[in-house]
Amino acid sequence: MSSHSPLIYHHTNTIRFIHPPNFLPGKTIETVSMATLSNATNIFWQDCQLGKPERQKLLNQKGCVVWITGLSGSGKSTLACSLSSELHSRGKLSYILDGDNLRHGLNKDLGFKAEDRTENIRRTGEVAKLFADAGLICVASLISPYRRDRDTCRAMLPDSNFIEVYMNMPLSLCEARDPKGLYKLARAGKIKGFTGIDDPYEPPLNCEIEIKEDSGVCPTPYVMAGKVVSYLEEKGYLEC
Amino acid sequence: MNLIHLSLITLLHFLLGKNLSDLSTNGNSKNILWHECPIQKLDRQKLLQQKGCVIWITGLSGSGKSTIACALSRSLHSRGKLTYILDGDNIRHGLNRDLGFKAEDRSENIRRIGEVAKLLADAGIICITSLISPYQKDRDACRALLPKGDFIEVFLDVPLAVCEARDPKGLYKLARAGMIKGFTGIDDPYEPPCSSEIVLKQQQQKGSDCMSPNNAAEKVISYLEKNGYLRA
Repeated sequence: MSSHSPLIYHHTNTIRFIHPPNFLPGKTIETVSMATLSNATNIFWQDCQLGKPERQKLLNQKGCVVWITGLSGSGKSTLACSLSSELHSRGKLSYILDGDNLRHGLNKDLGFKAEDRTENIRRTGEVAKLFADAGLICVASLISPYRRDRDTCRAMLPDSNFIEVYMNMPLSLCEARDPKGLYKLARAGKIKGFTGIDDPYEPPLNCEIEIKEDSGVCPTPYVMAGKVVSYLEEKGYLEC
Repeated sequence: MNLIHLSLITLLHFLLGKNLSDLSTNGNSKNILWHECPIQKLDRQKLLQQKGCVIWITGLSGSGKSTIACALSRSLHSRGKLTYILDGDNIRHGLNRDLGFKAEDRSENIRRIGEVAKLLADAGIICITSLISPYQKDRDACRALLPKGDFIEVFLDVPLAVCEARDPKGLYKLARAGMIKGFTGIDDPYEPPCSSEIVLKQQQQKGSDCMSPNNAAEKVISYLEKNGYLRA
Protein backbone atom coordinates (compact mmCIF):
# COMPACT_ATOMS: atom_id res chain seq x y z
CA MET A 1 0.00 0.00 0.00
CA SER A 2 1.41 3.38 -1.00
CA SER A 3 2.57 5.47 1.96
CA HIS A 4 0.82 8.58 0.68
CA SER A 5 -2.52 6.89 0.14
CA PRO A 6 -5.10 6.98 2.89
CA LEU A 7 -6.91 4.02 1.36
CA ILE A 8 -7.04 0.55 2.81
CA TYR A 9 -7.16 -2.29 0.32
CA HIS A 10 -9.74 -4.87 1.31
CA HIS A 11 -9.51 -8.47 0.26
CA THR A 12 -12.47 -10.83 0.19
CA ASN A 13 -13.03 -14.07 -1.61
CA THR A 14 -15.19 -12.35 -4.20
CA ILE A 15 -12.68 -9.62 -4.93
CA ARG A 16 -9.54 -10.31 -6.80
CA PHE A 17 -6.69 -8.58 -5.00
CA ILE A 18 -5.34 -6.02 -7.38
CA HIS A 19 -1.99 -4.34 -7.02
CA PRO A 20 -0.82 -1.72 -9.45
CA PRO A 21 2.21 -3.30 -11.14
CA ASN A 22 4.71 -0.72 -9.85
CA PHE A 23 3.87 -1.51 -6.21
CA LEU A 24 4.31 -5.25 -6.39
CA PRO A 25 6.34 -6.33 -9.39
CA GLY A 26 5.67 -9.81 -10.53
CA LYS A 27 2.12 -9.91 -9.14
CA THR A 28 -0.20 -11.33 -11.73
CA ILE A 29 -3.35 -9.44 -12.50
CA GLU A 30 -6.32 -11.46 -13.63
CA THR A 31 -8.61 -10.12 -16.27
CA VAL A 32 -11.73 -8.79 -14.66
CA SER A 33 -14.76 -7.17 -16.14
CA MET A 34 -16.68 -4.83 -13.94
CA ALA A 35 -19.72 -5.08 -16.18
CA THR A 36 -20.10 -8.84 -16.22
CA LEU A 37 -19.30 -10.19 -12.78
CA SER A 38 -22.26 -10.59 -10.47
CA ASN A 39 -20.37 -9.32 -7.47
CA ALA A 40 -18.41 -6.11 -7.46
CA THR A 41 -14.66 -6.16 -7.96
CA ASN A 42 -12.21 -3.30 -7.69
CA ILE A 43 -13.85 -2.12 -4.50
CA PHE A 44 -11.61 -0.58 -1.90
CA TRP A 45 -12.50 0.23 1.66
CA GLN A 46 -12.45 4.00 2.13
CA ASP A 47 -11.14 4.95 5.54
CA CYS A 48 -12.00 8.21 7.27
CA GLN A 49 -10.53 9.45 10.52
CA LEU A 50 -13.85 10.62 11.90
CA GLY A 51 -15.59 7.54 13.29
CA LYS A 52 -18.26 6.21 15.59
CA PRO A 53 -16.50 7.19 18.86
CA GLU A 54 -16.39 10.86 17.78
CA ARG A 55 -20.05 10.88 16.79
CA GLN A 56 -21.06 9.18 20.02
CA LYS A 57 -19.17 11.81 21.99
CA LEU A 58 -21.02 14.54 20.11
CA LEU A 59 -24.39 12.90 20.84
CA ASN A 60 -23.54 11.72 24.35
CA GLN A 61 -24.94 8.26 23.72
CA LYS A 62 -23.86 4.96 22.15
CA GLY A 63 -25.19 3.78 18.82
CA CYS A 64 -27.08 0.50 18.80
CA VAL A 65 -29.99 -1.32 17.21
CA VAL A 66 -33.17 -2.09 19.14
CA TRP A 67 -34.82 -4.79 17.03
CA ILE A 68 -38.51 -5.23 17.86
CA THR A 69 -40.00 -8.49 16.60
CA GLY A 70 -43.43 -10.04 16.95
CA LEU A 71 -46.72 -10.89 15.25
CA SER A 72 -48.71 -8.35 13.32
CA GLY A 73 -50.74 -6.38 15.87
CA SER A 74 -48.45 -7.27 18.79
CA GLY A 75 -47.61 -3.59 19.31
CA LYS A 76 -44.23 -3.21 17.65
CA SER A 77 -44.84 0.16 16.01
CA THR A 78 -46.59 1.41 19.14
CA LEU A 79 -43.59 0.50 21.27
CA ALA A 80 -41.19 1.98 18.70
CA CYS A 81 -43.02 5.31 18.85
CA SER A 82 -43.28 5.46 22.64
CA LEU A 83 -39.62 4.43 22.98
CA SER A 84 -38.59 7.15 20.55
CA SER A 85 -40.59 9.72 22.56
CA GLU A 86 -39.04 8.63 25.83
CA LEU A 87 -35.54 8.77 24.43
CA HIS A 88 -36.17 12.18 22.87
CA SER A 89 -37.37 13.54 26.20
CA ARG A 90 -33.99 12.45 27.61
CA GLY A 91 -32.16 14.29 24.82
CA LYS A 92 -31.21 11.11 22.97
CA LEU A 93 -31.32 10.78 19.20
CA SER A 94 -33.16 7.76 17.86
CA TYR A 95 -34.68 6.79 14.54
CA ILE A 96 -37.35 4.26 13.69
CA LEU A 97 -37.01 1.87 10.78
CA ASP A 98 -40.55 0.57 10.44
CA GLY A 99 -41.04 -2.47 8.20
CA ASP A 100 -44.11 -1.00 6.55
CA ASN A 101 -42.50 2.44 6.02
CA LEU A 102 -39.38 0.92 4.48
CA ARG A 103 -41.58 -0.99 2.05
CA HIS A 104 -42.67 2.42 0.72
CA GLY A 105 -39.10 3.36 -0.16
CA LEU A 106 -35.91 1.32 0.01
CA ASN A 107 -37.76 -2.00 -0.09
CA LYS A 108 -40.56 -1.08 -2.45
CA ASP A 109 -39.34 -3.67 -4.95
CA LEU A 110 -39.92 -6.51 -2.47
CA GLY A 111 -43.03 -8.61 -1.81
CA PHE A 112 -43.86 -11.14 0.91
CA LYS A 113 -42.58 -14.43 -0.45
CA ALA A 114 -39.90 -16.04 1.71
CA GLU A 115 -36.88 -14.78 -0.21
CA ASP A 116 -38.29 -11.25 -0.33
CA ARG A 117 -38.89 -11.30 3.44
CA THR A 118 -35.29 -12.40 3.90
CA GLU A 119 -33.99 -9.62 1.66
CA ASN A 120 -36.28 -7.09 3.39
CA ILE A 121 -34.75 -8.02 6.71
CA ARG A 122 -31.21 -8.14 5.37
CA ARG A 123 -31.48 -4.64 3.94
CA THR A 124 -33.14 -3.33 7.10
CA GLY A 125 -30.32 -4.88 9.15
CA GLU A 126 -27.67 -3.25 6.97
CA VAL A 127 -29.35 0.14 7.23
CA ALA A 128 -29.80 -0.22 10.98
CA LYS A 129 -26.08 -0.98 11.19
CA LEU A 130 -25.32 2.29 9.37
CA PHE A 131 -27.57 4.24 11.75
CA ALA A 132 -25.91 2.63 14.78
CA ASP A 133 -22.53 3.49 13.28
CA ALA A 134 -23.76 7.07 12.91
CA GLY A 135 -24.27 7.03 16.70
CA LEU A 136 -28.06 6.77 16.75
CA ILE A 137 -30.26 4.43 18.74
CA CYS A 138 -31.93 2.80 15.77
CA VAL A 139 -35.28 1.18 16.50
CA ALA A 140 -36.23 -1.44 13.92
CA SER A 141 -39.83 -2.58 14.00
CA LEU A 142 -40.65 -5.54 11.76
CA ILE A 143 -42.46 -8.85 12.15
CA SER A 144 -39.14 -10.52 11.09
CA PRO A 145 -40.62 -13.97 11.60
CA TYR A 146 -37.64 -16.18 10.82
CA ARG A 147 -34.98 -16.76 13.45
CA ARG A 148 -32.20 -17.19 10.93
CA ASP A 149 -32.85 -13.78 9.38
CA ARG A 150 -32.87 -12.01 12.75
CA ASP A 151 -29.66 -13.80 13.71
CA THR A 152 -28.07 -12.63 10.47
CA CYS A 153 -28.81 -9.04 11.51
CA ARG A 154 -27.44 -9.68 14.99
CA ALA A 155 -24.21 -10.92 13.42
CA MET A 156 -23.87 -7.67 11.45
CA LEU A 157 -23.39 -5.69 14.65
CA PRO A 158 -20.32 -6.00 16.79
CA ASP A 159 -20.02 -5.61 20.54
CA SER A 160 -23.53 -6.78 21.44
CA ASN A 161 -25.05 -3.63 19.99
CA PHE A 162 -28.06 -5.62 18.77
CA ILE A 163 -30.86 -5.59 21.33
CA GLU A 164 -33.70 -7.95 20.41
CA VAL A 165 -37.09 -7.08 21.91
CA TYR A 166 -39.70 -9.81 21.58
CA MET A 167 -43.32 -8.67 21.69
CA ASN A 168 -44.66 -11.92 23.13
CA MET A 169 -48.38 -11.31 22.72
CA PRO A 170 -50.78 -14.19 22.12
CA LEU A 171 -52.13 -14.63 18.60
CA SER A 172 -55.66 -14.27 19.98
CA LEU A 173 -54.86 -10.80 21.35
CA CYS A 174 -53.21 -9.68 18.11
CA GLU A 175 -56.13 -11.03 16.11
CA ALA A 176 -58.66 -9.33 18.39
CA ARG A 177 -56.87 -6.03 17.84
CA ASP A 178 -56.41 -6.59 14.10
CA PRO A 179 -55.39 -2.94 13.61
CA LYS A 180 -55.07 -3.24 9.83
CA GLY A 181 -57.89 -5.74 9.21
CA LEU A 182 -55.36 -8.26 7.97
CA TYR A 183 -56.23 -11.20 10.20
CA LYS A 184 -59.82 -11.06 8.94
CA LEU A 185 -58.60 -11.09 5.37
CA ALA A 186 -56.16 -13.90 6.14
CA ARG A 187 -58.85 -16.03 7.84
CA ALA A 188 -61.09 -15.45 4.82
CA GLY A 189 -58.27 -16.76 2.63
CA LYS A 190 -57.83 -13.40 0.89
CA ILE A 191 -54.22 -13.12 2.01
CA LYS A 192 -51.95 -16.11 1.70
CA GLY A 193 -48.81 -16.67 3.75
CA PHE A 194 -49.83 -14.35 6.56
CA THR A 195 -47.63 -14.71 9.64
CA GLY A 196 -49.41 -16.44 12.48
CA ILE A 197 -52.18 -17.83 10.26
CA ASP A 198 -50.55 -19.73 7.43
CA ASP A 199 -46.92 -18.73 7.78
CA PRO A 200 -44.81 -19.43 10.84
CA TYR A 201 -43.50 -17.04 13.45
CA GLU A 202 -40.35 -18.39 15.10
CA PRO A 203 -40.01 -16.81 18.55
CA PRO A 204 -36.54 -15.72 19.66
CA LEU A 205 -34.63 -18.13 21.88
CA ASN A 206 -32.31 -15.57 23.47
CA CYS A 207 -33.73 -12.12 23.20
CA GLU A 208 -32.44 -9.33 25.44
CA ILE A 209 -35.92 -8.09 26.37
CA GLU A 210 -39.28 -9.85 26.34
CA ILE A 211 -42.50 -7.87 26.60
CA LYS A 212 -45.53 -9.92 27.60
CA GLU A 213 -48.85 -9.70 29.35
CA ASP A 214 -48.83 -9.24 33.08
CA SER A 215 -51.61 -11.38 34.59
CA GLY A 216 -53.41 -11.30 31.26
CA VAL A 217 -53.06 -7.54 30.88
CA CYS A 218 -50.86 -5.96 28.23
CA PRO A 219 -48.49 -3.29 29.62
CA THR A 220 -49.08 0.27 28.44
CA PRO A 221 -46.83 1.76 25.75
CA TYR A 222 -45.27 3.96 28.43
CA VAL A 223 -44.43 0.99 30.66
CA MET A 224 -43.07 -1.02 27.72
CA ALA A 225 -40.87 1.87 26.65
CA GLY A 226 -39.67 2.26 30.22
CA LYS A 227 -38.50 -1.35 30.28
CA VAL A 228 -36.39 -0.81 27.16
CA VAL A 229 -35.02 2.54 28.35
CA SER A 230 -33.97 0.95 31.68
CA TYR A 231 -32.13 -1.74 29.79
CA LEU A 232 -30.36 0.83 27.59
CA GLU A 233 -29.44 2.89 30.64
CA GLU A 234 -28.13 -0.12 32.51
CA LYS A 235 -25.95 -1.17 29.60
CA GLY A 236 -24.51 2.31 29.15
CA TYR A 237 -26.13 3.31 25.86
CA LEU A 238 -27.54 6.58 27.20
CA GLU A 239 -24.15 8.08 27.86
CA CYS A 240 -20.87 8.20 26.04
CA MET B 1 -57.59 -9.78 -8.77
CA ASN B 2 -61.05 -10.20 -10.32
CA LEU B 3 -64.15 -8.14 -9.81
CA ILE B 4 -65.69 -10.59 -7.31
CA HIS B 5 -62.60 -10.51 -5.09
CA LEU B 6 -62.46 -6.74 -5.28
CA SER B 7 -66.14 -6.46 -4.32
CA LEU B 8 -65.70 -8.84 -1.39
CA ILE B 9 -62.74 -6.91 -0.07
CA THR B 10 -64.55 -3.59 -0.47
CA LEU B 11 -67.48 -5.06 1.48
CA LEU B 12 -65.19 -6.40 4.20
CA HIS B 13 -63.46 -3.06 4.54
CA PHE B 14 -66.84 -1.30 4.71
CA LEU B 15 -68.01 -3.70 7.44
CA LEU B 16 -64.77 -3.22 9.35
CA GLY B 17 -65.15 0.53 9.10
CA LYS B 18 -61.83 0.68 7.30
CA ASN B 19 -61.03 3.13 4.58
CA LEU B 20 -59.51 1.42 1.57
CA SER B 21 -56.90 4.14 1.40
CA ASP B 22 -55.61 3.10 4.85
CA LEU B 23 -53.96 0.13 3.27
CA SER B 24 -51.88 0.81 0.24
CA THR B 25 -50.23 -1.24 -2.40
CA ASN B 26 -46.69 -0.22 -3.10
CA GLY B 27 -44.91 -2.01 -5.87
CA ASN B 28 -44.87 -5.62 -4.76
CA SER B 29 -46.13 -5.04 -1.24
CA LYS B 30 -49.81 -5.04 -0.43
CA ASN B 31 -51.49 -4.22 2.86
CA ILE B 32 -48.83 -1.75 3.91
CA LEU B 33 -49.87 0.93 6.38
CA TRP B 34 -47.88 4.12 6.87
CA HIS B 35 -47.09 4.57 10.56
CA GLU B 36 -46.87 8.12 11.97
CA CYS B 37 -44.99 8.93 15.14
CA PRO B 38 -45.00 11.86 17.58
CA ILE B 39 -41.27 12.51 17.19
CA GLN B 40 -40.71 14.00 13.76
CA LYS B 41 -37.85 15.46 11.75
CA LEU B 42 -38.31 18.96 13.22
CA ASP B 43 -37.91 17.57 16.75
CA ARG B 44 -34.71 15.79 15.85
CA GLN B 45 -33.35 18.86 14.08
CA LYS B 46 -34.04 20.94 17.18
CA LEU B 47 -32.13 18.40 19.28
CA LEU B 48 -29.18 18.47 16.88
CA GLN B 49 -29.31 22.21 16.06
CA GLN B 50 -28.99 21.54 12.36
CA LYS B 51 -31.17 20.60 9.39
CA GLY B 52 -30.97 17.19 7.78
CA CYS B 53 -29.95 17.14 4.13
CA VAL B 54 -28.01 15.16 1.55
CA ILE B 55 -24.76 16.40 0.08
CA TRP B 56 -24.39 14.33 -3.07
CA ILE B 57 -20.80 14.39 -4.31
CA THR B 58 -20.44 13.17 -7.88
CA GLY B 59 -17.45 12.90 -10.20
CA LEU B 60 -15.03 10.57 -11.95
CA SER B 61 -13.02 7.96 -10.12
CA GLY B 62 -10.02 9.72 -8.62
CA SER B 63 -11.64 13.16 -8.70
CA GLY B 64 -11.42 13.37 -4.89
CA LYS B 65 -14.93 12.54 -3.73
CA SER B 66 -13.96 10.43 -0.70
CA THR B 67 -11.19 12.85 0.25
CA ILE B 68 -13.53 15.84 0.20
CA ALA B 69 -16.28 13.86 1.98
CA CYS B 70 -13.86 13.18 4.84
CA ALA B 71 -12.61 16.76 5.02
CA LEU B 72 -16.18 18.06 5.01
CA SER B 73 -17.23 15.61 7.69
CA ARG B 74 -14.31 16.59 9.95
CA SER B 75 -14.91 20.28 9.46
CA LEU B 76 -18.62 19.99 10.26
CA HIS B 77 -17.85 17.83 13.30
CA SER B 78 -15.52 20.52 14.63
CA ARG B 79 -18.54 22.86 14.43
CA GLY B 80 -20.59 20.38 16.49
CA LYS B 81 -22.63 19.08 13.56
CA LEU B 82 -23.56 15.45 13.05
CA THR B 83 -22.71 14.01 9.65
CA TYR B 84 -22.52 10.58 8.13
CA ILE B 85 -20.74 9.47 4.95
CA LEU B 86 -22.26 6.96 2.57
CA ASP B 87 -19.30 5.99 0.42
CA GLY B 88 -20.13 4.05 -2.75
CA ASP B 89 -17.32 1.57 -2.19
CA ASN B 90 -18.16 1.01 1.49
CA ILE B 91 -21.87 0.48 0.84
CA ARG B 92 -20.94 -2.18 -1.73
CA HIS B 93 -19.41 -4.15 1.15
CA GLY B 94 -22.74 -4.26 3.01
CA LEU B 95 -26.18 -3.20 1.85
CA ASN B 96 -25.26 -3.37 -1.84
CA ARG B 97 -22.94 -6.36 -1.79
CA ASP B 98 -25.35 -8.24 -4.06
CA LEU B 99 -24.86 -5.69 -6.86
CA GLY B 100 -22.27 -5.52 -9.65
CA PHE B 101 -21.45 -2.84 -12.21
CA LYS B 102 -23.76 -3.53 -15.12
CA ALA B 103 -26.09 -0.64 -15.88
CA GLU B 104 -29.12 -1.92 -13.94
CA ASP B 105 -26.97 -2.73 -10.91
CA ARG B 106 -25.44 0.78 -10.98
CA SER B 107 -28.96 2.18 -11.05
CA GLU B 108 -30.10 0.01 -8.17
CA ASN B 109 -26.91 0.88 -6.22
CA ILE B 110 -27.71 4.55 -6.55
CA ARG B 111 -31.43 4.08 -5.86
CA ARG B 112 -30.74 2.29 -2.58
CA ILE B 113 -28.14 4.82 -1.51
CA GLY B 114 -30.60 7.61 -2.33
CA GLU B 115 -33.25 5.95 -0.15
CA VAL B 116 -30.83 5.49 2.75
CA ALA B 117 -29.59 9.07 2.40
CA LYS B 118 -33.23 10.18 2.57
CA LEU B 119 -33.68 8.26 5.85
CA LEU B 120 -30.50 9.75 7.33
CA ALA B 121 -31.60 13.26 6.34
CA ASP B 122 -35.00 12.57 7.90
CA ALA B 123 -33.13 11.59 11.07
CA GLY B 124 -31.66 15.13 11.05
CA ILE B 125 -28.21 14.09 9.87
CA ILE B 126 -26.14 15.91 7.24
CA CYS B 127 -25.62 12.90 5.00
CA ILE B 128 -22.66 13.04 2.62
CA THR B 129 -22.73 10.61 -0.28
CA SER B 130 -19.60 9.94 -2.25
CA LEU B 131 -20.05 7.86 -5.37
CA ILE B 132 -19.31 8.25 -9.07
CA SER B 133 -23.08 8.17 -9.90
CA PRO B 134 -22.40 8.68 -13.58
CA TYR B 135 -25.95 8.82 -14.98
CA GLN B 136 -28.01 12.01 -14.78
CA LYS B 137 -31.30 10.08 -14.61
CA ASP B 138 -30.23 8.21 -11.49
CA ARG B 139 -28.99 11.33 -9.70
CA ASP B 140 -32.24 13.12 -10.58
CA ALA B 141 -34.24 10.21 -9.18
CA CYS B 142 -32.43 10.64 -5.85
CA ARG B 143 -33.01 14.38 -5.93
CA ALA B 144 -36.73 13.72 -6.34
CA LEU B 145 -36.81 11.68 -3.11
CA LEU B 146 -36.03 14.71 -0.98
CA PRO B 147 -37.86 17.93 -0.18
CA LYS B 148 -36.78 20.84 -2.38
CA GLY B 149 -33.44 22.24 -1.33
CA ASP B 150 -32.42 19.28 0.83
CA PHE B 151 -30.56 17.56 -2.02
CA ILE B 152 -27.31 19.44 -2.55
CA GLU B 153 -25.40 18.18 -5.56
CA VAL B 154 -21.66 18.82 -5.54
CA PHE B 155 -19.97 18.22 -8.89
CA LEU B 156 -16.22 17.56 -8.73
CA ASP B 157 -15.30 18.92 -12.13
CA VAL B 158 -11.84 17.42 -12.50
CA PRO B 159 -10.47 16.61 -15.98
CA LEU B 160 -10.07 12.95 -16.84
CA ALA B 161 -6.34 13.49 -17.37
CA VAL B 162 -5.91 14.71 -13.80
CA CYS B 163 -7.95 11.80 -12.36
CA GLU B 164 -5.99 9.35 -14.47
CA ALA B 165 -2.66 10.82 -13.40
CA ARG B 166 -3.68 10.35 -9.76
CA ASP B 167 -5.14 6.87 -10.34
CA PRO B 168 -5.30 6.21 -6.56
CA LYS B 169 -6.61 2.67 -6.94
CA GLY B 170 -4.71 1.71 -10.09
CA LEU B 171 -7.95 1.29 -11.98
CA TYR B 172 -7.28 3.61 -14.93
CA LYS B 173 -4.13 1.61 -15.69
CA LEU B 174 -6.14 -1.58 -15.71
CA ALA B 175 -8.92 -0.02 -17.77
CA ARG B 176 -6.48 1.31 -20.40
CA ALA B 177 -4.90 -2.13 -20.57
CA GLY B 178 -8.34 -3.58 -21.25
CA MET B 179 -8.29 -5.47 -17.97
CA ILE B 180 -11.46 -3.73 -16.75
CA LYS B 181 -14.43 -3.23 -19.04
CA GLY B 182 -17.10 -0.59 -18.61
CA PHE B 183 -14.97 1.72 -16.50
CA THR B 184 -16.42 5.20 -16.14
CA GLY B 185 -14.52 7.79 -18.15
CA ILE B 186 -12.72 5.22 -20.29
CA ASP B 187 -15.35 3.00 -21.86
CA ASP B 188 -18.46 3.99 -19.93
CA PRO B 189 -19.90 7.48 -19.94
CA TYR B 190 -19.92 10.06 -17.19
CA GLU B 191 -22.81 12.47 -17.65
CA PRO B 192 -21.82 15.73 -15.93
CA PRO B 193 -24.59 17.50 -14.04
CA CYS B 194 -26.19 20.51 -15.75
CA SER B 195 -27.20 22.39 -12.63
CA SER B 196 -25.46 21.30 -9.46
CA GLU B 197 -25.81 23.47 -6.41
CA ILE B 198 -22.02 23.52 -6.05
CA VAL B 199 -19.28 22.96 -8.64
CA LEU B 200 -15.73 22.35 -7.46
CA LYS B 201 -13.58 22.95 -10.50
CA GLN B 202 -10.04 21.79 -11.03
CA GLN B 203 -8.11 23.62 -13.70
CA GLN B 204 -6.09 21.68 -16.20
CA GLN B 205 -3.18 24.14 -16.39
CA LYS B 206 0.15 22.75 -15.37
CA GLY B 207 1.37 24.15 -12.08
CA SER B 208 -2.03 25.33 -10.93
CA ASP B 209 -2.87 24.03 -7.50
CA CYS B 210 -5.71 21.68 -7.02
CA MET B 211 -8.37 23.12 -4.72
CA SER B 212 -7.37 21.57 -1.41
CA PRO B 213 -9.86 19.27 0.31
CA ASN B 214 -10.18 21.77 3.16
CA ASN B 215 -10.91 24.67 0.78
CA ALA B 216 -13.45 22.50 -1.02
CA ALA B 217 -15.05 21.62 2.32
CA GLU B 218 -15.26 25.29 3.30
CA LYS B 219 -17.04 26.11 0.05
CA VAL B 220 -19.68 23.50 0.85
CA ILE B 221 -19.95 24.67 4.45
CA SER B 222 -20.52 28.27 3.30
CA TYR B 223 -23.39 27.03 1.17
CA LEU B 224 -24.88 25.09 4.09
CA GLU B 225 -24.53 28.07 6.42
CA LYS B 226 -26.03 30.49 3.93
CA ASN B 227 -29.00 28.18 3.36
CA GLY B 228 -29.70 27.59 7.04
CA TYR B 229 -28.63 23.97 7.39
CA LEU B 230 -26.25 24.62 10.28
CA ARG B 231 -29.02 25.68 12.63
CA ALA B 232 -32.40 24.20 13.56
